[in-house]
Amino acid sequence: MNDLVSDQAISKTRALIDLIPLGRIDQLAVSIIAANLQAILGLNSDVSEPRQEPEYALLPQRRQFDALKIIKELSRETHGAPFKLGVTALDICTPILTFVYGESQLGGKIALISLNRLQGGPPELAYERAAKIGVHEVGHILGLEHCWEIRCLMHFSRNLEQLDSLPLQFCSACEFETTRRIKALDSK
Amino acid sequence: MTQSMRILIVDDEEPIREALGAWLIKDGYKVNTADSGQTALACIEEGFFDLYLVDIKMPGMGGIELLGRIKEIQPDANVIMITAHGSIQTAVEAMKRGACDYICKPFDPDELSLMTERVSANQALKNENLVLREQLMEQQETSFEGIVVASDALREVFNNLAEVAPSSAPVLITGETGVGKEMVARAIHMQSANAYGPFVAINCGAQSETLLESELFGHERGAFTGAVKARRGRLEMANNGTLFLDEIGEISPKMQVSLLRALEEKRFQRLGGSQEVTSSFRLICATHRNLPQLIKEDQFREDFYYRINVISIHIPPLRERLADVPVLADHFLVQFVQETGKRLEGWTQRAIGMLMAYHWPGNVRELRNVVERAVVLARGRMIGADELSFLQPNTDECHFGTMTLKEVEISHLKVALDATGWNISKAAEQLAIDRGTLARKIKRYKLVRT
Repeated sequence: MNDLVSDQAISKTRALIDLIPLGRIDQLAVSIIAANLQAILGLNSDVSEPRQEPEYALLPQRRQFDALKIIKELSRETHGAPFKLGVTALDICTPILTFVYGESQLGGKIALISLNRLQGGPPELAYERAAKIGVHEVGHILGLEHCWEIRCLMHFSRNLEQLDSLPLQFCSACEFETTRRIKALDSK
Repeated sequence: MTQSMRILIVDDEEPIREALGAWLIKDGYKVNTADSGQTALACIEEGFFDLYLVDIKMPGMGGIELLGRIKEIQPDANVIMITAHGSIQTAVEAMKRGACDYICKPFDPDELSLMTERVSANQALKNENLVLREQLMEQQETSFEGIVVASDALREVFNNLAEVAPSSAPVLITGETGVGKEMVARAIHMQSANAYGPFVAINCGAQSETLLESELFGHERGAFTGAVKARRGRLEMANNGTLFLDEIGEISPKMQVSLLRALEEKRFQRLGGSQEVTSSFRLICATHRNLPQLIKEDQFREDFYYRINVISIHIPPLRERLADVPVLADHFLVQFVQETGKRLEGWTQRAIGMLMAYHWPGNVRELRNVVERAVVLARGRMIGADELSFLQPNTDECHFGTMTLKEVEISHLKVALDATGWNISKAAEQLAIDRGTLARKIKRYKLVRT
């Protein structure tokens, strides 16, 4: 019995995701994202030491940073938790999209979010948006696709207005799926 | 965000393909990518896509040329052109050539999502339309419930149908012209696992051999004089559905060999084509001819016969199931009354008697035509003998085959009882016998209402 309790305790404390600040960033935002990953997904996280600005990903003509390049670079890191979530204040995009709030590998290990376009309204609103995008992108690395349910955090938001209308929670189907997948990870 | 929509991304730049693909996969789409027009065409050979995202500027075959090729192969294809800001004029040109939209890269996330959702919604509407049309058809005449059955003979056929329909085994339906073989084939399709797939029918007896070959296997552009466009064949169209080959007894032994190969390997080539096309369908064949006899006469291949005759269903002619006549007549009457708006309530006893006395060489089809004609001629509320005066009862031919006298009597009693809804008095009147006599016969022959 004691062994079981101690195993569970180990499992609960093991960090499954590293939050990696990229460049200068509001640390409070990172802490809020970490807290929400724990509260909504039950994912323990570690906040890594901040890294330098990812200049290798700069697209001079667009004055933006290529999210896919940053993700590729982060995926080279083999140490730390199995999942990694990069957090940056830089404006990120992909070769086809003018900008993205976040990008991730569906069913992979790496996600990235940007706080750059989340301003507007009271300061706490930007933190809430960051938390929503962080949990949404981690949902993708857990293998979830976009959800049809408009009251689900995995629903695709086209703009901040839509993002604000989303609750900070999954629909029952997505919640079931994330729980199932995290349980499978825990058992490994 | 239709989860099942298949998208092909055609772009020579790998980062674009990767980024676009990753984005669309998260929206639940099934995504394939191609790095050139040639690769894209090879992908299309494997199967059509619901949406094509095609870059305009590519080395070799450009986007506009590829658009033309896609439209040749799949005329109703949804193609969205991807363009840089500098080449909007070309994109507009593409729209004139059949592209459904264009998008300038890099684009806003909502722009792409809205565009794919719009195509997806259109596709869903088309599919819904198809399903509704099929359902309507089903309501009209294709479900087992919709088919009018009163006789024991046909009831037995339909009991067997309910068992064989869910399997994917080939079915051979035999029966005289006009007994409703295609209707039965549709009923099997509607009850099968492929019910939501297409039901593709072709009458093999109505075409020349060359035309039939092209109809069945399709052809590439330039395969023969007049083949100005590539065209999918019926085998290809029936993918995930049912292929119904009517009058299979009419096809030549050469065509039987080609079909046998295609059916066994489930792949074939279009006429003039080199690429193999795969198609998976349930095969139902029908014929009014005696195929074993044709085999003996070397007009039909035995191996082909065994390939198509895994399950056989014989539909008896109408003259052998006269109990169906009044019920079918009522069914068609309701149908034509609705179509014509005439106020008709039914048939007189004498009219029913005339319908029962007729030998129906043209089977159900002929009965339908007779009812249609009677409805047109009808003046009063009931259709009587006058409206059926054109029917010439069969007097010189016995339609009871080798039945014994007792069997003939039982059959005739059943017909009269079924026709009157087992009203003993009315049935006795129709048979011109005493009510008590009829009651005794029912008891003696242990007749029961089914």
